Amino acid sequence: MKRILSSVTDGKGFDIGLVVLPLGFLFVMSGLPLVYNVVMSFQEVDMFSLGSFVRPFVGFRNYVDLFSQPETRPILFNTALFVVASIAGQFAIGFGLALFFWTNFPGASWLRGLFLVSWVMPGLVVGAIWNWILSGDFGVLNFLLRETGVIDGNIFWRSDPNYSLWAVIIANIWLGTSFNMILLSVGLSGIPKDLYEAAELDGANALQRFWTITLPMMRSTIGAIIALGLIFTLQQFDLFAGITSGGPNNSSNVTQYWAWDLSFRQYDFAKGATISVIMIVFVMLASVVYVRSTRHEVRG
Amino acid sequence: MSDQFRNRVMFAVALLLAAIYLFPLYWMYITALKTGSSMFATPPKFLPSEPQWGIYAFVWESRNMGRYLWNSLVIALGAVSLIAVLGVGCAYVLARYRNGWVDIGLFLILMLQVLPASLMITPIFVGFSQFGLLDTPRFAVILAIAAKSMPFFVVLVRATFMSVPMELEEAALVDGNSRIGAFFHIVLPLARSGILVSAILIFMQAFGEFVYSKSMIQDIELQPASVGLNSFMGPNTNEWNNIMAYATIYVTPIMAAFILLQRRIVSGLTSGALK
Repeated sequence: MKRILSSVTDGKGFDIGLVVLPLGFLFVMSGLPLVYNVVMSFQEVDMFSLGSFVRPFVGFRNYVDLFSQPETRPILFNTALFVVASIAGQFAIGFGLALFFWTNFPGASWLRGLFLVSWVMPGLVVGAIWNWILSGDFGVLNFLLRETGVIDGNIFWRSDPNYSLWAVIIANIWLGTSFNMILLSVGLSGIPKDLYEAAELDGANALQRFWTITLPMMRSTIGAIIALGLIFTLQQFDLFAGITSGGPNNSSNVTQYWAWDLSFRQYDFAKGATISVIMIVFVMLASVVYVRSTRHEVRG
Repeated sequence: MSDQFRNRVMFAVALLLAAIYLFPLYWMYITALKTGSSMFATPPKFLPSEPQWGIYAFVWESRNMGRYLWNSLVIALGAVSLIAVLGVGCAYVLARYRNGWVDIGLFLILMLQVLPASLMITPIFVGFSQFGLLDTPRFAVILAIAAKSMPFFVVLVRATFMSVPMELEEAALVDGNSRIGAFFHIVLPLARSGILVSAILIFMQAFGEFVYSKSMIQDIELQPASVGLNSFMGPNTNEWNNIMAYATIYVTPIMAAFILLQRRIVSGLTSGALK
């Protein structure tokens, strides 16, 4: 007993004690729900069997039912479009801004940090602000686009099925750009300056320097940022709740909103669990890419 | 002289870019001050002609914001305390050693960091309701947020511990301190500011949390401000000045804290997220 006690205060037991408690907590609060999710996706769950642990086992019926629903395919397509367009927009604008602030002038780092305000704001507030900006008749974005001659008539961003998904994408690009920019700035500042001096002596112009030095040196940072972008975009829920609620008629619905909608609006917990399982597998794959791309930087 | 000129031009352009980027926030503040009719004017006014300062008190009273913000505060503080108590030790051990077990632990934590809340809420809700946790919904939300955000906190704080020289701790051990003594008297004080910044970041996230609260807290008396904002915004609302006033009251404290601590938050975030 005394030996165990002294190990806890003064030996290996101290480290083990510090780690076991949080890992146990995470196991109970995240690991078990993950398993439970998979179990529920093979069960019939309704309002009556919600409280009991023993429910009828239905095999793959939830999966088969899910994929025979007419809205499944468009929603999966929306998710892909949402992810690709958001990441492309965030990355392109973020990289442009990072390159601009990289030129290093007094006040650059302070102003750059200011951009991150968008990232610490509650997602629902961002959704509310963009909901108002994107409003059809009185929205300020429509006004600006009309004044600059980009559009002739108002676009009904939230209620036109052709634009509703893009309304959320625009808001999500705004939300994620700053985070991309900050991480890319960190990557840029890690490139040794003498590489550029050598290239300049050899007569390489700015564009050549960008293609032959900046991009190759940033490869692992870019990989990590794209993977992180995928993870964050698949987590995005608040903007859908704040702008379109997945409507009209599912035209702006994506899997992560749909999963919640199935469980908590239609009370079909089994289907909600099923789509969650499928998406979690996707997210896990993305995170493996992210972990791998950050790993060798830690070692190096 | 020309260098100075260049710097000034660059700064002006940067200021312009920041102004464009932060325009949505400006629009929130401005809309809140407009009257019901000038809000819908075409062309829209970019400066309010007759600012309605009374709107904040009105919205605070009519939407019962004190109660909502109090609930947000309870949930965020609860989650941060739980995360800090459990996460700091975990981050310390993961930073102190380098072996296979640590790699496995780190990998598991990074994997848990990425699970989307809206996909995890289904099993968490069903499980919590079976164990009766939904009878204390705010506590249930605190538990769920802690599980969601702790991995991120551990990653950030681990980076802080990595920068504390191990020699200091070893010297304390040689001087006769126990491991516990060295941890509390040497390591923790040195990592204090990094832990604080990470905790503030987690607090900001928890303060705006929506999915778990919306799904698990049915009782309006216990709902946080994010859920309150969501029920304020009906599908066909036209009270945009009131909604923006609500949003202003909700986010201004967070933004003020961020701007004050900006430099440290940004550096803490970047050291943790990429390394």
